[in-house]
Amino acid sequence: MKDDYDKINFLCGIEIHQELSGKKLFCSCSADLKEEKKDLEIKREIRSSVGESGEADVASLYEQKKNLKFVYYGYEDEHCLIECDEQPPDPINQDALKTALEIATILKLKIPDELIVMRKVISDGSVVSGFQRSLLVGLGNEESFIDTSQGRVRIKDIYLEEDAAKIIKKERDNVYFSLSRAGIPLIEIGTQPDIKTPEQAKEVASYLGMLLRSVPGIRRGIGTIRQDVNMSILNGARIELKGFQDLRNMPYVIENEIKRQLEMMNQGNKIKEEVRKVNADCSTSFLRPMPGASRLYPETDIPNIKIDKELLNGIKKTELIDEKIVRIGKQYNLNNEIARVLVKENKLELFEELHKQFGMPELIARTILLTVKDLKNRLGLPSDKLTKKDFEEIFNYVKKGMLDKGLVSKALEDRLQGKFSLAKYKVVDEKELEFFIKNLVKEKGNLSDGALMGIIMQEYKGMVDGKRVMEILKKIRGT
Amino acid sequence: MQAKEGDLVEVSTDNEVLKGRLIPGPDKTRIVLKLGSGYNISLDRKKIKKIKLIKKYQEKENAFPFIKTKKGLKTVTILHTGGTLASEVSYETGGVIPRYTPEELLGKFPEIADIVNVKSRLIRNMWSEDINFKHYNLLAKEIVKELRKVDGVIITHGTDTIGYTAAALSFILEGLEKPVLIVGAQRSSDRGSSDAAFNLTCAAKFIAESDFGEVAICMHESMSDDNCLIMPACKTRKLHSSRRDAFKVVNGKAFARVSKEKITFLRKNYGRIGKNHINIKLFKDVKVGILKAHPNMKVDEVRFYRNFDGLVLDGYGLAGNFPINKIDNFTLENEKIYAELKKLSKKMPLVATTQTIFGRVNMNVYSTGRKMQDIGILGNYSDMLTETAFIKLAWLLSNFKKEDVRSLIGENLRGEISKRITSEFLE
Repeated sequence: MKDDYDKINFLCGIEIHQELSGKKLFCSCSADLKEEKKDLEIKREIRSSVGESGEADVASLYEQKKNLKFVYYGYEDEHCLIECDEQPPDPINQDALKTALEIATILKLKIPDELIVMRKVISDGSVVSGFQRSLLVGLGNEESFIDTSQGRVRIKDIYLEEDAAKIIKKERDNVYFSLSRAGIPLIEIGTQPDIKTPEQAKEVASYLGMLLRSVPGIRRGIGTIRQDVNMSILNGARIELKGFQDLRNMPYVIENEIKRQLEMMNQGNKIKEEVRKVNADCSTSFLRPMPGASRLYPETDIPNIKIDKELLNGIKKTELIDEKIVRIGKQYNLNNEIARVLVKENKLELFEELHKQFGMPELIARTILLTVKDLKNRLGLPSDKLTKKDFEEIFNYVKKGMLDKGLVSKALEDRLQGKFSLAKYKVVDEKELEFFIKNLVKEKGNLSDGALMGIIMQEYKGMVDGKRVMEILKKIRGT
Repeated sequence: MQAKEGDLVEVSTDNEVLKGRLIPGPDKTRIVLKLGSGYNISLDRKKIKKIKLIKKYQEKENAFPFIKTKKGLKTVTILHTGGTLASEVSYETGGVIPRYTPEELLGKFPEIADIVNVKSRLIRNMWSEDINFKHYNLLAKEIVKELRKVDGVIITHGTDTIGYTAAALSFILEGLEKPVLIVGAQRSSDRGSSDAAFNLTCAAKFIAESDFGEVAICMHESMSDDNCLIMPACKTRKLHSSRRDAFKVVNGKAFARVSKEKITFLRKNYGRIGKNHINIKLFKDVKVGILKAHPNMKVDEVRFYRNFDGLVLDGYGLAGNFPINKIDNFTLENEKIYAELKKLSKKMPLVATTQTIFGRVNMNVYSTGRKMQDIGILGNYSDMLTETAFIKLAWLLSNFKKEDVRSLIGENLRGEISKRITSEFLE
């Protein structure tokens, strides 16, 4: 497999864009993206502007030729004069900066002692000012890499930038945008072109996704993380693939793009550097020419941001999700799957609090994960409404020996139905139970274990632990 | 050879080697490199061990369009007073390269060449806050000179003091019967969303396609890039620190609305193109001030103006009130302020205006206003902007006798005082 990609000199790197939560990067507007009440509509033109190098950017000129008018909708709490480019930016959002610095620290990038906010020229209307503010937060070095099953992939750099406005619709020469997403802090992580196979691209993307989800201050939900793939093959050109809907499809999309390029070359066509959009059927289509390198110049409205030791020392290094799963598996003697679900479903905190009071890791984990789901799926009960207090009460009875641990599910079920009464679950005296079973075996010894179990469970109305009953039964019968 | 700004270099520190273009840093303690990614990185000069030159910077020749005069189009001279209307960001200086020649200007705003033939000249390169009366005179003389040859003048101007300059030019250029439009940009022209191009285009179109012949300000009407307003020189004020529609007409109406497609006049009374026999009346270096009333005012503030030639009193509310009444033991200072104003008023014209910005001054309604009239404070019935009153007072003092100044200040000379105030208000 890998050899096939080596043969065509497959080169690939990825870029991950992750939105942060809270406030926007350079103003105090909400980053909640609710878009509830529209309260602004403005119409603008954007001219291509000339970058530092004196050459207008190819991508910008391309957009200018299209002679478009841009209409921006603003929604309550989610825009101010800053998104409208009618006021200079506020100082940088410190929470977002700290999140970016933390990610750079986790990936062991070199963080400059002074950060420079740049303007990245964007003329397609998605940024009102005509440029996106962006700052380099960390540069990769020999220590910055991730190890995958197919080898090491180096991290190139990390940026903190403003998200662009979201396009709503196009009507003839008018393009409509919502300002709600404009200015939301965005982390960009880029890798070196060390990825050797399409499958490895997916592995890297998943790992970085996991890493980002581990850190506080990350926005969650559909569209909050976006992956771009940069790739090329022998005799081809650099192609950027944008808009992956589902990470699982990433290898197929890359495969398809390789095939497309090979076919084009077979027909004697030259591959041009361009940005391509990923379609729902895993094919790709032309989006725009590749933007050039001359599209950045300094944001003169924001002084450089000093990063001192004190700030860096104050950055907490959050435990990664993967690390956490391994740690709690070991710490509480839970199997990997249960540990993973505890972390994934955000139940770790509840678990740890309950465990601290009552011990019983296995029972607590199973109850808050599996029993809760079972009550909902099987009986349609609103088990997601169960609070920490509910669990505490039930486990307290178990701990005190007032409730058999086999009856936790039943107790929760009754509680949700308003039928909870501790008397019902009175722990059956072990001796009394043995006496009852002994007599039963004497009377109906000809029946099978299963049939006897049925009679016993009916007698005790499910108030005894089935496993325990079977043990006693087997002991008495000597089987 | 030592590396210079713009050169491609390799910089080594203890733990890294970075390749990039040398960019001017904020100060001598830092070195800034533009990396291959286009991002700048700032490095502590002390930590740098070596800078290796890789490639010298070669300045690119800018190809500007060849300009051909088009028959049938009016000709406009654009006079620049500085600011960033046509500037570009540069490597060499790291800052802004001004662009003022017609070629440079049309390279940036090519659409203007279809509207008017353009001449373009830099008068001064300065921030608008540094402009003084001498600059008004210089600018006025240049305008007079240009208007002998061309159909109109556009002045590019920093927005902070556009209102003052517009008023000053309209007073100086007595008899003007050609268009003189002042434009600015609230958002710098190095950004794609700058309002510079639209304001400039609208001004050119208005000159090209109308019979308007006086001084006016041409700026955005709203936050959208769809219309500019042509606003009266003496009645327009900057009312917002950053928005592109910061300029509003106070106690009056704009002359016209201009879009890329059309011109709509909003008023019938405006100066039209005529013979343009200008009787130029320049400023002298007179000493005029503006004193703003505020709570807990001290007589020293008033006394400060003893050696001035005139003073605008920017007071409160309806009468442009000043704290001049002794009410109790706490207000003894007010008595002194009144006495000092009385002294000043004997020496120089004092003109009351109102901090409310909108509305007319009426000093008859309350006793404070009547007391101010008693000591000869002027400005009753006037609806002049404070800034316009200041310019007018200085100009009158430069050109007329003291007695005449006192009577002319209340007379409408350039549309600075309106007879009627209609219901438009912050709309």
